[in-house]
Amino acid sequence: MQRTSIRLGTALVGIVTALSLVTGCGGGDDKKKDAGAAPAAPGGGSGQKQELTFWSWTKGTQEVVDAFNKSHPDIQVKYEQIPSGNAGGYAKMANAVKAGNAPDVLTIEYPQLPDFVSQGAVQDLTSKVSGLKSKFPASVNKLTELGGKTWAVPLDAAPMALYYRKDFFTDHNIAVPKTWDEYRAAAEQVKKADPNARIGTFYPDDPSTMAGLTWQAGGAWFGTEGDAWKVSLTDPNARKVGEYWNKLVTDDLVRVQPSFSQQWNADLKSGGTVGIVGASWSAGVLKSSQPDLAGKWAVAPLPDWGTPSNGMLGGSTFAVSKDSKKSKAALTFIEWMTTTKEGISARIASGTSSAYPAATELVPTAAQFFDTGYFGKQDIYPLFTEATGKIGAGWTWGPSMTQTNTILKDQFGKLSSGGSIVGALEEAQRSTVEDLKKRGISVKS
Amino acid sequence: MNTSLRAGRRRRKTTAALFLTPFYALFIATMVVPIGYAIWLSLFTEKTSGLGFGGTRRVFSGFGNYADALGDDKFRDGFVAIGLYCLLYIPVMVGTALALALLLDSALARARRFFQLALFLPHAVPGIIAALIWVYLYTPGLSPVVELLESGGLHWDFLASDTALFSIVNIATWEWIGYNMIIFYAALQAIPREVVEAATVDGAGPVRIAVSVKIPMIRAAVAMTMLFTIIGSLQLFTEPSILSDANPAVGSSWTPNMYAYSAAFRANDFGLAAAASVLLAVFAAALSFGVTRLSSGRRTA
Repeated sequence: MQRTSIRLGTALVGIVTALSLVTGCGGGDDKKKDAGAAPAAPGGGSGQKQELTFWSWTKGTQEVVDAFNKSHPDIQVKYEQIPSGNAGGYAKMANAVKAGNAPDVLTIEYPQLPDFVSQGAVQDLTSKVSGLKSKFPASVNKLTELGGKTWAVPLDAAPMALYYRKDFFTDHNIAVPKTWDEYRAAAEQVKKADPNARIGTFYPDDPSTMAGLTWQAGGAWFGTEGDAWKVSLTDPNARKVGEYWNKLVTDDLVRVQPSFSQQWNADLKSGGTVGIVGASWSAGVLKSSQPDLAGKWAVAPLPDWGTPSNGMLGGSTFAVSKDSKKSKAALTFIEWMTTTKEGISARIASGTSSAYPAATELVPTAAQFFDTGYFGKQDIYPLFTEATGKIGAGWTWGPSMTQTNTILKDQFGKLSSGGSIVGALEEAQRSTVEDLKKRGISVKS
Repeated sequence: MNTSLRAGRRRRKTTAALFLTPFYALFIATMVVPIGYAIWLSLFTEKTSGLGFGGTRRVFSGFGNYADALGDDKFRDGFVAIGLYCLLYIPVMVGTALALALLLDSALARARRFFQLALFLPHAVPGIIAALIWVYLYTPGLSPVVELLESGGLHWDFLASDTALFSIVNIATWEWIGYNMIIFYAALQAIPREVVEAATVDGAGPVRIAVSVKIPMIRAAVAMTMLFTIIGSLQLFTEPSILSDANPAVGSSWTPNMYAYSAAFRANDFGLAAAASVLLAVFAAALSFGVTRLSSGRRTA
């Protein structure tokens, strides 16, 4: 009898310990949320001065906020840098919105905007931003309009481009590839010239590059038909791109490393990786993460499939969180950041950003403030302008890209143990359709 | 007399209540309420319609989330991963900790204090920091360890898909060996010296004493450590999540805890996340009960 009660007692201790550990995980996040919400204490109550809170990770944001605060005594923005979206920023924001202590202004990239809209996390800005529409190209406006309403204001269009080590290519007489066939040939030449060098990297953690390349190839992972979604992650164009990169991976012509990881940076630094398939903003990333390589890099148009075209890789928008009571001040700030000369020049002059403004008329401003020294005085903005002009208009981001990307990411992780990119796309197609249906979203097959 | 007795009893009751209140208040606020809320959350799901941009409704789904979690390969694979992890981790960690504790306890040990502290030190490093340090040590091109191995002609990729489990076990072992060693060492210190002396007089060498006298006498401590290690392993989260940034083979739902995290903060499915957490807790409870039964049963046998 006594033994039983001791045994039961021990089991109870076990249960309580287990449960406390389970719930303990949530507790840790609470703390983080509190830390994020601390500056959100209403400062607008007294007098005219309004205090806005803002979470972001885009390069040059601190400089933008400082410049805004200086020129707007009535609105003071409190900026908190958070991890980039895929590295945990989106989880943090979704968490904060759920808990009711989100900042007023959120940074959301185009692919994830539908996620936040369908979670009801952001405010409908349709009537408030109608005047800004004309400043942005139609292909960009399309990405911020979902279900007939406008939900965010775009900061940058993010046309893709090819970055390469000019010194390496010149030294080894390798021509800069113009098509994907040439890219593969160049990849072979790079490996031949230096067995420890590779032309680029496949990012198993970041399916958005694959998305951008599929966009360029004329594919569309998602589309809408009336009131229903059409999911086509495995359409012929998507397969073509998947198979092409799969072959590069299995032939060991590109590295397989997480994006922005320590490995990736280490190889760029040592010259083990001599190219990047990136976007306009990659120039800023390169500049700030590899300052020692100044003068050695150059930018070229993204290789294509024979006909000129391009896609977008990432690109950021700003939205107002659903519980914000300061949407007017928030929009003043957002508008200033995205559509004024002051806002764009402050960002670019920081020296860390190479954002290509979505507001077309501000491109010359950005070009003027971008220090081209890193790229050996190459004027990179006209190249981005040309690339932007080639961006196809057929692309739509799906309603739960974070989920779709998570599936792709998990599947890409299996590449080294027998998986394939096309296999990953097939799994993502199946899981995404299943997930959407489970949530009550109509899907047309 | 009668009244004073009753008053005394009442006073005692009030005192007891006074002492117990803080415990129960905290217990309810930090245990019962969150667990109750998790169970409550797990019974609902969010539905939308059309393109999904018209907002969401919360609908009661009963045990739907539980069925979804149990029916999901990814959730079940998490338990398999934990099982493999335990198979590798527990023998290595408990074995090494026990060996070190016996060494410290043996007459041969010098500088006991120093080794106690030195071996315990890794446990004082927070799990996240430890994982970050190890990821750095695993990264080719950055890591002095990898460089050293390479210079010796050894090519070991810590971040490959088939070495992920080993890399995680290594971090956890590094973190927990010292801690468990201290527990074993304390238990060994509690063994009456006469017993050890008697064994010596009987002609047993140090190894024989360790295996036949000391280990059986601290069996309870070893069993308790195993129990806590298994429960701790079920909660595995920090090390694989940090490692998943560097090693894509460690997926978003590598362990059940990561599955719950991913469901909540990537898929925004809080119902599913809550259901997965509750299932994990129930599983941990059942396992603890089983292990305690098993070890107490062996004791009586």
